Amino acid sequence: MKRRALVTGSLVVAGLIWAATVGAMYRAVRQFETTPGREAAARTLWPQRSRIVPGRDHWTLVMFIHPHCSCTRASLQELQRIIEMSGPSLQTYVLVYRPADFQAGWEKTETFEAAKRLQRAHVIVDQDGREARLFGGFTSGQTFLYDRDGALRFSGGVTSLRGHAGVNRGSMDVVNIVHARTTQSTHPVFGCAIVTMESEQRQ
Amino acid sequence: MSEIVTEREMDARAAEIRDEQLHARHVRVDRMFTWLFLAQYVAGIIAALTVSPYAWEGKIHTIHLHVWIAVIGGAGIIILPILLSIFRPGTKLTRHVIAASQMLASALLIHLTGGRIETHFHVFGSLAFLAFYLDWTALLTATVVVAADHFLRGIFWPESVYGVANPEWWRFLEHAGWVAFEDVFLIWACVMGRREIAESAARQAQVEHLSELEQLKSAALEMAMAEMHVASA
Repeated sequence: MKRRALVTGSLVVAGLIWAATVGAMYRAVRQFETTPGREAAARTLWPQRSRIVPGRDHWTLVMFIHPHCSCTRASLQELQRIIEMSGPSLQTYVLVYRPADFQAGWEKTETFEAAKRLQRAHVIVDQDGREARLFGGFTSGQTFLYDRDGALRFSGGVTSLRGHAGVNRGSMDVVNIVHARTTQSTHPVFGCAIVTMESEQRQ
Repeated sequence: MSEIVTEREMDARAAEIRDEQLHARHVRVDRMFTWLFLAQYVAGIIAALTVSPYAWEGKIHTIHLHVWIAVIGGAGIIILPILLSIFRPGTKLTRHVIAASQMLASALLIHLTGGRIETHFHVFGSLAFLAFYLDWTALLTATVVVAADHFLRGIFWPESVYGVANPEWWRFLEHAGWVAFEDVFLIWACVMGRREIAESAARQAQVEHLSELEQLKSAALEMAMAEMHVASA
């Protein structure tokens, strides 16, 4: 009799844990996926001190990534789609963050290799996020699109959520701007932080 | 009159055999699911550690939320079905909780692998496994969980399931429709399977009855022979 009550009690407790876990998990995942990273302090004109020299006869897209950010794989998948849909008038640069005091090779992750496999894209290591600071990008996946005159036309992310590839307003806006269907746009960016408040204060 | 009684007895015995066989099957499948839940739990943790072990802020890293979800959330999902399969094996409640939990485990694995299309096949594999119960109502529970998950996420968090922010209201029906497509065949297989078990049980009851009759005849013959021996002596 005692054992029966113990078993029933344990099953009721397990049932409550089960229901609470399902609810808490949905809540936690939703919050995680839908919370964007820090918004960029985008420069309206191409930063002159940048090492990258934009082609005057091309649109120039710059994406900043953290090589260890798992959500960034989705941003790169979307970037591939953007490159394919935009055609040769788009010049693309992927800047891969690496802290200066970390040994070379730290950045060579699967994400880095995925960036290198992108067609018509230049991959550059961004030591200590210097370029990210110049452009005002703080979050992995942050994308800037500049026109032929060096004016900013798009700032934001190209995924709809953290780590979710698929058609979304951010990536479609980039394509539409290049094809002159829209003039300019912004979109939330989802990813790990490249430049943190603390590292900014130290600089 | 006696023939009708015998037929009723045979039917009752056939139903008894059928229920015994189904119960034994349910208990066996419950145990299989216990091992599957444990294997999926480990696989979920490995997937989280492989795909997204850390969250990064510049050069500082912390354990990624996905790892905690795999460890704590994964355990929370499997605790009830495992305890039920140990303490209430073969019951309808256990089957339905297992069906619902298995679909939740699929959703968790899909999430932990970054929403890979390939991981969605886990849902279809799981339905086939649930069909081992030969209880189509368990498939119904699993389908309702999948549909409810898509319906609710479609309302509150549409990008996570459809990739776009404003999907049509009926989009969850399209996803659940593919599950229902598989269900049609699995439910048919369940009905056929139960029918075969019932037929086999009826045959066994008949054999048992015939064997009982044979034993009675033999006993009567032996008694008659014994009486003849006594009379001749």
